[in-house]
Amino acid sequence: MTQFYVTEVRPHGERSTVGLFYTREEAAAIVRQLESLPGKHGCRYVISTTLPTPAEGER
Amino acid sequence: MPTRRDEARTSRRRAGDNGFRGTIMQGTTPRRLQGMADPLLASMVRAMGLGESPQFAARSPQVMAYVNRWLENGKHRDGAVNPSPVFPDGVAADDPVALARLIKATATELGADLVGICRLRPAMIDLGVDLPHDFVVATVVHEAYDVVIEGYAAVEEEAMRVYAEVSDIATRLAAFVRHLGYPALAHHNGGSCVQAIPVFHHAGFGELGKHGSLITEQYAAGFRPSFVTTTMPLAEDQPRSFGVQEFCLHCTICMKNCPGDAIPNEYVLTDGVKRWLTDLEKCYPYSRLRKEYCHLCVDVCPFNARPYAETYKAFMKQQRQLGYGTPKS
Repeated sequence: MTQFYVTEVRPHGERSTVGLFYTREEAAAIVRQLESLPGKHGCRYVISTTLPTPAEGER
Repeated sequence: MPTRRDEARTSRRRAGDNGFRGTIMQGTTPRRLQGMADPLLASMVRAMGLGESPQFAARSPQVMAYVNRWLENGKHRDGAVNPSPVFPDGVAADDPVALARLIKATATELGADLVGICRLRPAMIDLGVDLPHDFVVATVVHEAYDVVIEGYAAVEEEAMRVYAEVSDIATRLAAFVRHLGYPALAHHNGGSCVQAIPVFHHAGFGELGKHGSLITEQYAAGFRPSFVTTTMPLAEDQPRSFGVQEFCLHCTICMKNCPGDAIPNEYVLTDGVKRWLTDLEKCYPYSRLRKEYCHLCVDVCPFNARPYAETYKAFMKQQRQLGYGTPKS
């Protein structure tokens, strides 16, 4: 089964993994809910099928 | 015509409104649904030609009694706030340090092994839930390590016993807070919108381990939690590290012992905290799709060697003889 990782990219570039989901629909629904929150204004969301391993500088 | 944003707003759930007088906090962390409400588990169960997880269908009368206890507690999570509270001597209604001391002493008296307090943050609340509270009190009761290592049936009964106990504690503690004049909502297996891991981290209990559970110095990951959220002003505990995340970077014992090979070695970062995301598709065949519970990743964790030295040593000797990845029964 394909795995879908949702990553939150914050306005200043910080990346934070939201979670692992097992259907694209489930991941997309989570993204829609997050995008509707005023507190998340300015964040964007990436759905990927590969593990969002932290970059060297983030570890 | 309502927009998608309007739909999202109107579908939000609001909890703990009784006596509301604070700001609303909107949750940001998705909750993985339990039982057949979990789309992954539901699809795996249906692929087996079943209508329910074999584990849930095979629960013993004793386990069902525990389940019914927390379901009953679920009816009493919230309640009326006492309009004329009387505080114990030496405790002022607006003294966060004295109130925190009182709440911790009460939780301990109710049976909690650990009590921690932190300010509520959006990441501690389920996505889609608005909670009008400012603080969260976390309570923990430990599982008996020598019981849970006996086998899957023993694990399930012990886990459910402790879940029932912590649901009693949260229910009574929330009622106590309301008696002191502050809104309070209990969170446990009978109903919760609180995310355990970020609360544990900020309340100073410990750190997230590779097996996906929080590790404490006192009980490793062998415990069950409950929570109370409230507007009562409380002195906060602070996050504390005792080297778990660094240790887990190099330790592979839970990975090697997992019968489903579900624990990854690579991690992701969430708010700067390392998370090893268990592959539930590999975990569920052992933890949900058998009649018995699985707890092996928690039982073999080397952090058990601190509180349970001799028992842990004997258990790991047995695991080595059985072979890595061998279920307990």
